[in-house]
Formats: sequence, C-alpha cells, structure tokens
Amino acid sequence: MKRLLGIMALALFVASFGLSQVYAGEVDILLQKLVEKGILTPGEAQQVGTETKEQVKKEISQGKSSSLPAWVQNVKLKGDLRLRYQTKHDKAANDYEKDTNIGRVRMRLGLEGKINEKLIAGIGIATGSGDPRSTNISFGGYNSKKTVVLDYAYAKYSALPWFTLVGGKMLLNDTLWEPTDLIWDTDITPEGAVIQLSKNINPNLALSMNLGALIVDTDTSSDNDAPMAYIIQPQASYKFNDDVSLKGALSFQSFHNVKGHACSKYASGSNTGITKIGSADATGNYVYDYQMLNPALELKVMQPFKALGLNVETLKLFGEYVNNLDVSKGASGFSLGFQFGHDKVEKWGDWQLRYIYAMLEKDSVLDVLPDSDRYGGATGMRSHEGSLTYGLGKNTSLGFDVYRSWSIIGAKAPETLIQADWNMKF
Amino acid sequence: MKLMKLFTMAAFVVGIALPCYAEKIVMEGSTTVLPIAQKAAEVFMQKNTDADISVRGGGSGVGIASIIDGTCDIGNSSRPIKDSELEKAATNGKDIRAHVIAMDGIAVVVNPANNLNALSKKQIKDIYTGAISNWSELGGADQKIVVISRDTSSGTFEAFAELALDKAKVRPDALMQASNQAVASTVARTPGAIGYVGLGYISGDVKAVAVNGIIPSRETVLNNKYPIGRPLFMYTNGEPKGLVKELLDFIKSAEGQKLVETEGFVGLK
Repeated sequence: MKRLLGIMALALFVASFGLSQVYAGEVDILLQKLVEKGILTPGEAQQVGTETKEQVKKEISQGKSSSLPAWVQNVKLKGDLRLRYQTKHDKAANDYEKDTNIGRVRMRLGLEGKINEKLIAGIGIATGSGDPRSTNISFGGYNSKKTVVLDYAYAKYSALPWFTLVGGKMLLNDTLWEPTDLIWDTDITPEGAVIQLSKNINPNLALSMNLGALIVDTDTSSDNDAPMAYIIQPQASYKFNDDVSLKGALSFQSFHNVKGHACSKYASGSNTGITKIGSADATGNYVYDYQMLNPALELKVMQPFKALGLNVETLKLFGEYVNNLDVSKGASGFSLGFQFGHDKVEKWGDWQLRYIYAMLEKDSVLDVLPDSDRYGGATGMRSHEGSLTYGLGKNTSLGFDVYRSWSIIGAKAPETLIQADWNMKF
Repeated sequence: MKLMKLFTMAAFVVGIALPCYAEKIVMEGSTTVLPIAQKAAEVFMQKNTDADISVRGGGSGVGIASIIDGTCDIGNSSRPIKDSELEKAATNGKDIRAHVIAMDGIAVVVNPANNLNALSKKQIKDIYTGAISNWSELGGADQKIVVISRDTSSGTFEAFAELALDKAKVRPDALMQASNQAVASTVARTPGAIGYVGLGYISGDVKAVAVNGIIPSRETVLNNKYPIGRPLFMYTNGEPKGLVKELLDFIKSAEGQKLVETEGFVGLK
C-alpha cells in the first residue's frame, strides 16, 4: 500500500508539472527519497526513473513539450531555389544549326500540415507556366514578373500502418516508384487517388503496392468518357546484408480513352497523330491508348570500392523497360544507368556522378510524360545523360547535367543540352 | 470497367492478405538482451502453450528500427532510444514506449593475487588501450598486465567499450574470450590478468575491483552510482496489449526477474 502510494505520489508530481518541466535531476532526487523511506525498492526507482526520462525524451521529440504554438509544431515548411544556366545546340533535319542560351529559375515552396495523427495535407507552389513537366521559368521579357502556380495539393490518410490513401494533386513518388525518369518526368504531380499498401515481412524484405486511379484530362464538350490512367505497381525491396540491397517493381500503367482524344498543348508532338512545330503548342488526336508494362530494378551497394581503399559511399545500378501493349510496333523503350558517390549531396565535398542511357520508341510512352530535358521530352529518341553534383555547403550544391540526344525516326537531328545549376534547399 | 473491378479485387486481396502476418510475438534486437529474451520466452511459452514467440538478435539498432518499422512486437535494446530514432518514430506515427527490464552491470575483475583493490575509469581505459601495460605503473607488483576481453560480437564487449573505454579500441594483444564464464576462468588462473564480466559472474575465484571508488554491487548498479552499468530496454509501439503485455508483465515479475539474475544481469525486484 505504502509502495502504491509512493508511485502514485510520483505520478502526481510528474503530471502536475508536466513531463517537460520535471528535470531529470528532480525526478532522481524524489526517487532517491522514496527509496530511502522504503516506499520504493532501488529496482522500482530505477525502472520509474529511466522510463520517465524516456517518456520525456519522446514527448520532446514529438514536439508536445515545445513552447511553440500547436499550429507551428504541426506544420512543416520546405522549399528550394535553383538558378540555372542552360545552353543547347540543335542540328535540325535540314542541317540548320541553332544555339540557344538561357538563364532560368525554379522556386518551390511546400507546406505540410498534420491535421491529426493519421491525416496530413500538403500544399506546394512553384514557378512555372502550367507545363506539367517543368517548374522552371526563363529569365527575360524585359524583367517581366514571373508566374507562380499550384504545384501540388494533396491529402494523405494513413489509416493503418500498412495502408495509406493519397488523393488530390499528388507528388510523383507517392504515386509510383521509378529508378529513372524514362516514363515520368519527376516534376509531374499526378492528379487522382492512390492507395499505398506496404508490409515489412522481415528486417530484410519489404513488400509494397501502389494502386492508382489518375485523371488524365476532362472532357465536358462531348459524351465521351474522359481519359483516365489506372496504375498498379507491386514493389519489393530486399536487403542482402548491411551493404547490398535490391529494389524491384513491376507496374502496369493503363491510359484509357486517350485514343481519339486531343493531346495536351504541352505534349512533345512525337506520338502517332500528334504534331508540334517549333515552340508552338502541340495539336492532334492520339491514335492509340497507352497501356504500359514497366519492370524496373535498382541495385544499391554501400562502400563498393572498399577493397580498393576508395571511400565511395554508394554505387547504384538501375534500369527499366517499357512496352505499350496497345501498339504492335514502335512500342518499347528502356533506360540503363549507374550512380556513384554520395547517396544525397547535403554538405561541402559531397559528390554524386550519374549516367543514364535511354531509348523510347515512338509510341512506347504518352508524349506528355517523359523527362522534358531529354530531347524535349519526346519519344522516338535515344539519349546519353551524364551529371555531376558537388556539395558547396550545407543544403547547397552545384550541378552539371549534359544530355546528348537524337531522333531514331528519320534524320538524327541531334541535340546537346548542357545545364549548370546552383541548388539551394531549405 | 473491367480494369476497375480488377483494381478493387487486387486491393481487397492484398488488404486481406497483408495483416495475416502479425499473429505471433516477434522480439528482435540487442545481443545483450538476447539471453534474457530467450530465457523469458522459453519459460513463458511453457506456461502459455498458445504463445508463439520468435526471438532474434541483430543489435540494438536493428531492434529499435524494427519497432519503428513495425516488423517486430518488442524491440530489445541495451541503449536508450536516440532522438533521431524518436523523430523517425513520430514521423511514422509510432508511439514508442520504453520498458526497463533489467540492469547490466559490468564488473572489472583481477586475479585474486593482485594487491590492487580499486581502479579509476581512466586507468581501466589506459590498461585496455595499451597506455599502461604493467601493474607497477598503478602502484602494484612489477608484473605484466594480461588483458582479457570479450569477443567483439558480444553485447558485454559493446557495453564495456562504450561505458568504460569511451569507444576506444581495445589493444590488439588482448585475449578475446567467448563468454563471461571464460573471462572469469582465465582471470582466475592467470596471474596479472584483468577482465570484465557481468555482475552475476563475480565469484571467489576472481577479485572485483572498485571503479572510481564504487564497489560493483546490485545496489550500486541500481542506484546508478557504479559507473559501468546501464539499463536494458524492451520497446513497444504504444501501450502493450494482449500477449505482448502478458509477456512483459512476466519479465517484470519476481519470477521473470529471477531469470534475469540467472542470466548474469541485475534484476529490478
């Protein structure tokens, strides 16, 4: 009874002052007194004292003990700024050569708010003109003001540890996983809803699956069904040991009712039925649906050159393949690449080298999806891409990206694109 | 429309199939806590024939990562959870609860013929890192110090390296032993030897020395006065329920704490 009263007295003391205000030393003194009076055994005192300290630590980390207002604790602000110099050399089919040099800026600002323990809302704005594949905006126009657009706005509901529902204008990596931007430019923020299922089977094996229904375009002018995309992507990650892991996914991305539908003005004009002349908007109606089967694989090795005495943090080898099942010819594509150096460039001296070889046949992928820097985001091309990123300091880096791309339909019309970026994250 | 049906069916099948994995209790983590977990699981399963408990090692980091990721029911750890791990847990929506289940006290032992009765933590570090190699440098006999250590894969080694050596490397000529008992036996028969063992392995064959003036004992470990001691944890996600709660209650009970003592640790009862 005496012991119970002692523990209750301690609980009352802790509760009255709030865990964060009870200093570890004060708890220890109180526990010591309770031991001296024979109310608690030394073992019980140790247990209560240590568990109390752990609880305080946890509450501080959760922000509950913070003196900041609740809305500040529940909101995360993040963003980045990129200044780019870009030079491009085009050689058209008629041997007409053109060099263009431009300065560009990309600003992204995102806010993620915790509505409750299971629900998160994310909102992001970015520079841009509405092009789904770019948040860059070029300098010029006699110092004209630049436009900022809604980049994403989504809700994420984690109903169970293994079940998450995301809806709205979502981040691409909430929609599917891809080791390269062969099919989807990483700037795209898909619209619709995605169910994410995940389960860690054991410490080495994790399984997950994304099921998505995406709105591609609306059609209010006719009785036709609007284009939709349905995505299913089972994924598996396996850790062979602390240094070697493998991630694989097989997605089926079915773009329905695209056939016969007018293209986006931002399309690259490289699919059958679509035309784009110079910098004018793309026009035309799609001739096929795009039912893309896409296996993807990534092998990650930590400290791959340890045996040679070289300190290289990671090596990644990756690749993916795509085939449009709705088309019998000109329907496949692939990318292969590697990356080594630091997994993330976060501080001075961090570096990362990356190379990707990519090929897309004419109707392998919907021409409003692939990386817009790789031959203007067109299909019917082959491309080498090499990039180097070097850390200048905390959260700031310099990046150099070089693309050498050419057409695989008709004249080669090669293009060389060089980008120098100064990246800043906050 | 067919495709929609396919999606709904796939989601339903996966949704039903995935949770079916969480039937038995999985304990994972610290190799120091491992013998306690194994012994407790063995006795608990004898008493509760329905219980199916799987106990795995992997280290404290693995145990904590697993409880955050939800791949185990109890994450064993010989160190407190780090702030970065708590932040990750909070991001993952996990409510990590700490349960102290025992204390780990490591006694520094010397051959009984040694006339020294006390050492400072710094002296112990100097001996184990090779800065001091003769007992005469510490006021003892002119005798070479024979350094005995646990093998590097043991939790006791890990704890000793952290608590007594500030993670400094043990001298390369130290004799590595595979168990607490082997360390105690080697120290007992080797003049000039020094070793370290769990508190439960102190016997008349070896002499436990005071560290920083504190004699290793159950009491000095429990009141945090002895410098080479630490709590051992089992972490759960949220307040334990059902069989997990029953198992933890058993480990914390007088019977469970007796098992803790038989494994060479300091019980809390």
